[in-house]
Amino acid sequence: MGVAFDYAPERPESIDTILNGLDRYNPETTGVFQEYVAQQCADQTYDCYANLALLKLYQFNPHLTRDETTTNILAKALTVFPSPDFSLCLSLLPPHIYAQAKLSQQSGPPASGTLAEAVSHLCILHTQLNSAQYAEFWNTIDGDDLYADLVADIQGFEEIMRVRIAVVVSQCMQEVQRDVLESWLNVRGSKFDNFVREICGWSVDGSVVKIPLNKENEARGTVVRESVKFEQFGRMVKRAYEQPA
Amino acid sequence: MSVRRAPTYQQAAPERPADDDSDAEEEALANDYKEQVGYQDGQGYDLDRSGSLGGGPQDLQAQLQAAATPLEYGATIEAKTQSYDSYCNLFHFILNSEGPVDIEVPSYYWAWDVIDEFIYQFNSFCSYRQRIAFQQSTTSVNEEEVSVLRDNPNTWGCYSVLNVLYSLIQRSQISEQLAARKRGEDPAPYAGEYGSRPLYQMLGYFSVIGLLRVHCLLGDFSLALKTLDDIELNKKAMFARVMAANFTTYYYVGFSYMMMHRYADALRMFNHILIYVSRTKNFQKGAQYDSISKQNDQMYALVAICVAFYPTRLDDTIHTALREKYGEQLTRMQRGGPESLPIFEELFRAACPKFISPTPPDFENPQHNIDPVEHQLAVFMEEVKNNMYSPTVRSYLKLYTTMDLTKLAGFLEVDADTLRNWLLVNKQRSRQVRHSEGGLLEGDIVNSADLDYAMQGDLIHVAEAKVGRRLVDWYLRNLARAY
Repeated sequence: MGVAFDYAPERPESIDTILNGLDRYNPETTGVFQEYVAQQCADQTYDCYANLALLKLYQFNPHLTRDETTTNILAKALTVFPSPDFSLCLSLLPPHIYAQAKLSQQSGPPASGTLAEAVSHLCILHTQLNSAQYAEFWNTIDGDDLYADLVADIQGFEEIMRVRIAVVVSQCMQEVQRDVLESWLNVRGSKFDNFVREICGWSVDGSVVKIPLNKENEARGTVVRESVKFEQFGRMVKRAYEQPA
Repeated sequence: MSVRRAPTYQQAAPERPADDDSDAEEEALANDYKEQVGYQDGQGYDLDRSGSLGGGPQDLQAQLQAAATPLEYGATIEAKTQSYDSYCNLFHFILNSEGPVDIEVPSYYWAWDVIDEFIYQFNSFCSYRQRIAFQQSTTSVNEEEVSVLRDNPNTWGCYSVLNVLYSLIQRSQISEQLAARKRGEDPAPYAGEYGSRPLYQMLGYFSVIGLLRVHCLLGDFSLALKTLDDIELNKKAMFARVMAANFTTYYYVGFSYMMMHRYADALRMFNHILIYVSRTKNFQKGAQYDSISKQNDQMYALVAICVAFYPTRLDDTIHTALREKYGEQLTRMQRGGPESLPIFEELFRAACPKFISPTPPDFENPQHNIDPVEHQLAVFMEEVKNNMYSPTVRSYLKLYTTMDLTKLAGFLEVDADTLRNWLLVNKQRSRQVRHSEGGLLEGDIVNSADLDYAMQGDLIHVAEAKVGRRLVDWYLRNLARAY
C-alpha cells in the first residue's frame, strides 16, 4: 500500500495543525517551519509537504526568505530521488532565481554566495541523479567544496544517497560488476563488501555482485487482465428492469 | 470558463477611492500579517459601505449579475480596478453582514460563474501586470499604467483572493458538509446557519474548485490536489452539473497530476472528461460548449504529452481525435531524443494554465519579472530531458527477449555506461504512483510499462506485459446499440 504524498509519519501534531489550517499562510509560522526543516536535517526524517508549505510562505513573502533553509529543503528533496519532490520545490522558487540558475549552466556560474548559485549547483546534482549518472554525481560532490557545503547540513547525506542508489540497483539488476557498483556507490574495498553484505543483503562473488531476486528485478512476463466492475453494467441492469417484459 | 461575450459590464457599486485597499473579510486570515504584505487597510468596509450597499435587494441583484459578467476585452486599468473593488464589496457584504444574506440565487450555475470570473480576472490581471513590468524597459509602455500599478500593489492581491475563497469555504462549512456526505450521512446538521442556504453552499462549494485552480496557478500542485480531499470526483458530484465547472476541475486536477509526474492519473482525468465532452457535445450546442472547445484542444495537447511519457491504450474516440489534432507532434514526441524537446515545449506552452506569481512584480528590476509560465516550463522540461532517451531504449528492447548490453550500445551508438544509465532511468520512470482509492494524493507505486527488464551483468532480460483483450467496453457499447 502506498502512502499519500502529504503523509509524513514523524510529523508533530503542531505542524499538522498549521498545515491543515489557515496558519499555513501566516508569515509568523515561518519560524516554526524553519525549525522543522532544521530538525529534519538533523534527525534524518523528511516531510516534503511541510517543506513545500514553507517555500510557499517564502513565495508570498519574499523578504522572509532564508537562503540556507531553501537550499536545505532542496538538498533534502534530493535524498528521495526519483520522486517528483525536487521539481515541486523548484516550482515554488522565485522565477528569476531559477532562471539565473538555469542560465548559469550555459554561461558560467552566477555571483558566488547567491541563492541562484546554490540552486544551480543543486540542479546539476538533481540532473545527475535522475539520469542515473551516479559516478558523476559523486565526482561532482567530491570535486568542489561548494557542493559539500550545500549538503553539509543534511545528516548522513552520503549514506542516504548510497541506500537510495542501492534500491534503484536492486530494482533493475540481478547481477552487477563490482567495479561498476563501486563507482555508483562511491565506496571501495572492504567498506564496499561491508555495505553490500550488511546493509543490502547481497552477496559478492569474485568480481560480480549478486542481488537476490525480488518482485522488481525478475522481469517476468505478465498478462494484464481487464478488471470488470459491476457498476459498469449498471445501465444494462437498470434497462432490464425498466423494459416491460 | 464563462463565455467572453460582448460588454455588458455594469458598475453597480459606486467608485471607491483607489488607495483604499479592499479586503473582503478581515477576521479570518489577514489580521496578523497585513502589515507584512504591505496592507494599509486601516479603514474597513464599515466606513464606506453605506453608500455602496444601501440600495436594497434590487441593487444587490444587479451586483450579483455584474459579478458573473466578464469584463470586456482590453478593459482599461480603471475598469479592472473597479471590478476588483466591486467584487470585494459584494463578497464583504455576503460574508460580513449580520446573519446570512437572504436572497434568491439567480440560477444554479450563477455561483460558478461568479467564482470563475473572479479568478479569471485575478489571473489575467496578474499576467497583465507582470507583462507590463517586464516590458517597461524594452518597449514603450504607458508610463501612466506603470505608475498606477506600482502605486497599488494590493489591487487583485493574492492574499485577498485566497482570503475570499477560504472565507467562503469556512462560512458555508462546506468542507464539513462534504465530509458528512462522503461518510454517507445527511450533510444538513453540519451546514450551520449559513451553509444551509443555497447561496452560501454553492459559493462555498465552487470556492473549493476555485482554490484548486489558484493553487495550481501558483505552482503548488500538491496543495491543489489536497484541496479536493472532500470532493469526490464522480458524475454525481455537484460540479458535474455545470459543464464549465466539470471541465475546469478535471483540467486542473489532471494538470497537477502531470506536474507531479503521475501521468497515468493525469491521463485518467483527461480521458474521463474528454469522453464526457465528446458524448454530450450534441446536447450542448450553446454558449457553454463553445467556451470549452478551446480548452478541449488544450487538453488534447496535454494528453499527447502524457501519452508520450506513458505509452498506453486510449479510448477509441480519444485516440482518433488525438491523431487528428496532434498526430504528427505525438509521433515526434514518442520518438524521443533531442528533436522532440521543442514539441514538448510548444504543446506545454499552448496547454498550460497562465501561471502567476503571488507577489506584485518588481518594477525596479524589470529583468527579474520572468514570466511564471516560462518558469514552470523550464521545471517541466528538466523532466522531459531526463526521459528523452526512454522511447529509443524501449523500441529496441521490444524486439528481444535477451540482449547483450554492449551489443545494444553498439546499435544505439553510445557507450555501455551511458546505455546502462538509460536503462536505469527508464526502469525508474516506469514505476509510477497511481491512485486507487482515497484522497487524490494517495496512490500505490505500480509498474506502468508494457515492458519489463532486468540486467544480469551485461545481459538484459526482457519481458513483455501483454494486455488481454478488452471486451467489456465493446460488449456494452454494442449492447447499448441493440436497445
